[in-house]
Amino acid sequence: MITKPQKRISKRGLKVWRIAGAIHSILAFLAAGGAIALTIIFDWPFWIIGAALIFFAAYAYVFIMLIPSLRWKRWRYEVRENEIEIQHGVFVIKSTLIPMIRVQHVDTQQGPILRKYRLATVAISTAATVHEIPALDVDEAEQLRFFISNLARVAADDV
Amino acid sequence: MMSEPKRLHPVAAVANFFQSLKELLLPVFVLIIFGGEGGFFQFITSGIVILLLLLSGIITWLRFTYRIEEGELRIESGVFVRKKRYIPFERIQSLDTSEGILQRPFNLVKMKVETAGSSGKGDAEAVLTAINKQEASLIQQALLHSKSQASDADDDRDLSAEPKEDIVYKISPGELLLLSSTSGGAGVVISAVVAFILQLDEVLPYERIFAQFEHFIKNGILFISIVIFIIFFIAWLIALIGSLFKYADFTVKKVDNDLIITRGLLEKRQFTIPFNRIQAVKITENLLRQPFGFASVYVESAGGSLQNASSSSVLLLPITKKSRIADILKPYLTDYAFEPILTPAPRRSCVRYLFRGFLTSILPMVLPLLFFRPWGYFALLLLPFSLFLSYLKYKDAGWGIDGQQLTLRYRGLLKNTVFMKKNRIQKLSMEQSYFQERADLATADAAVMSGFGGSGGTVADLEKRDVQQVYEWYSYTEKAEDRL
Repeated sequence: MITKPQKRISKRGLKVWRIAGAIHSILAFLAAGGAIALTIIFDWPFWIIGAALIFFAAYAYVFIMLIPSLRWKRWRYEVRENEIEIQHGVFVIKSTLIPMIRVQHVDTQQGPILRKYRLATVAISTAATVHEIPALDVDEAEQLRFFISNLARVAADDV
Repeated sequence: MMSEPKRLHPVAAVANFFQSLKELLLPVFVLIIFGGEGGFFQFITSGIVILLLLLSGIITWLRFTYRIEEGELRIESGVFVRKKRYIPFERIQSLDTSEGILQRPFNLVKMKVETAGSSGKGDAEAVLTAINKQEASLIQQALLHSKSQASDADDDRDLSAEPKEDIVYKISPGELLLLSSTSGGAGVVISAVVAFILQLDEVLPYERIFAQFEHFIKNGILFISIVIFIIFFIAWLIALIGSLFKYADFTVKKVDNDLIITRGLLEKRQFTIPFNRIQAVKITENLLRQPFGFASVYVESAGGSLQNASSSSVLLLPITKKSRIADILKPYLTDYAFEPILTPAPRRSCVRYLFRGFLTSILPMVLPLLFFRPWGYFALLLLPFSLFLSYLKYKDAGWGIDGQQLTLRYRGLLKNTVFMKKNRIQKLSMEQSYFQERADLATADAAVMSGFGGSGGTVADLEKRDVQQVYEWYSYTEKAEDRL
């Protein structure tokens, strides 16, 4: 049995996910607010207000609290000499093996929120697929990128 | 040799014109359908557009020259932006010729120049739309010549010798007929015909025609079913003829290190697949052919000469007895085992397959049941079909490891068996949902390169330790000494 991957992604990543969740909870907020406003204007039954509030609360809870923490808890990765192993997923847990000799190139990318928290996403491309390790510390991401591209260069194989 | 710039045959101008016309077809369609009554104005506009296209086709042709110089194929083109593209012969993977309807009467060919990187956007590195056959063979010789010079350095093979040709497979008339009559093209034809008839609506006096039949229709369902049957039958016939033309003369040859596939009656097409670019082999059986023991074989290829980019599955054997596949392919694809022993999904996953089938059929069933009451009951037929299909999916799920080969068998609508070599698999995943974890099951997912994107196979609900075994088989970490 291969040992399960051990490394986690940065704890600050969790914060970024919560912020992202909060940003798109605004949509739910607008929908709920709209429903409440319409209910008051057109004298719809009172329970709609309650339902809208509950909907908003549930949405915000799921996307700000629940999913980011589950996602963070499940995210593991490990870069070994011959392969990269990634394990992630909220409801479906997916473990993936990417042999070093299959890696074509490695990118790091950063959005505005990630940049503020000094984080970056590492994207590993094979000839067929792209795999992302999100929210790593910038230095760590940079190191990882160098590390992988150095290892990947060692073994060239025909595709 | 041949260093002065040359133009293509003038037919290329016509081909350019049709090409751009084809690209405009969709916008024009949209315009016609949603455009309303433009009348005269529309007529004039389309006339001008067509004229412009014709003109641009001719200018494009005038500006397009090619020549062979210093071991490179040099192409210059472009009307406003002049483009020069020099392709060194060493970089050329294959030269493919095809003869379309336009090229045939003039004894011309269309030549596609493929390099390793060119399968990306669905375009070949370069296309010579119409050149005569002598010209084509001249270029081919130049390519061979330069390649032989390159390899002369390390070995003195006798390169003047004819390349060895070996026929792998040739379709028989019976197989062609069977292939055509069981192809799924009928559905496409039906939808095209329906769309067309809906458009004709403005031209034909349907109401008057139908008024005559009205008492007939009132009399019942029989008439409608006959009409539907006839429509289906005609669509099937059209699809049959189309695919007869498409797959006539289907021949697979082995020439040196390439597989060369030629097919087509009106339009001859040729594909070249170098053996070392083959990423995986896939056997596909559709619902109609499976009961008779017939199957098709595809190869996934990385680049080479293929026309669509999203997936480079190439049909290798269009239709053949499943039991014969190994006999036909074994001598050529020597490192593949075509009849490995597969482990099926465990019994307890059957329920999960059925349940998934049930869930997916519920939504399309509920709507017609609620809103189109008398006829909506027909939607109920979907349920047994979906359950049956799910059961087949369960029966067909399987995996096997045979040395360096992973075999995955799964069914969508078609039953697929994918053979993949470890060193061609780009990634392997093991997935487990909460419910799978409780049942000790897991999903295996492997990807190989195919053209520019990926392809591969996913098998759901296998025994967890089986998937783990596959996962460990693929891992390079523990047994690094025997890798590759």
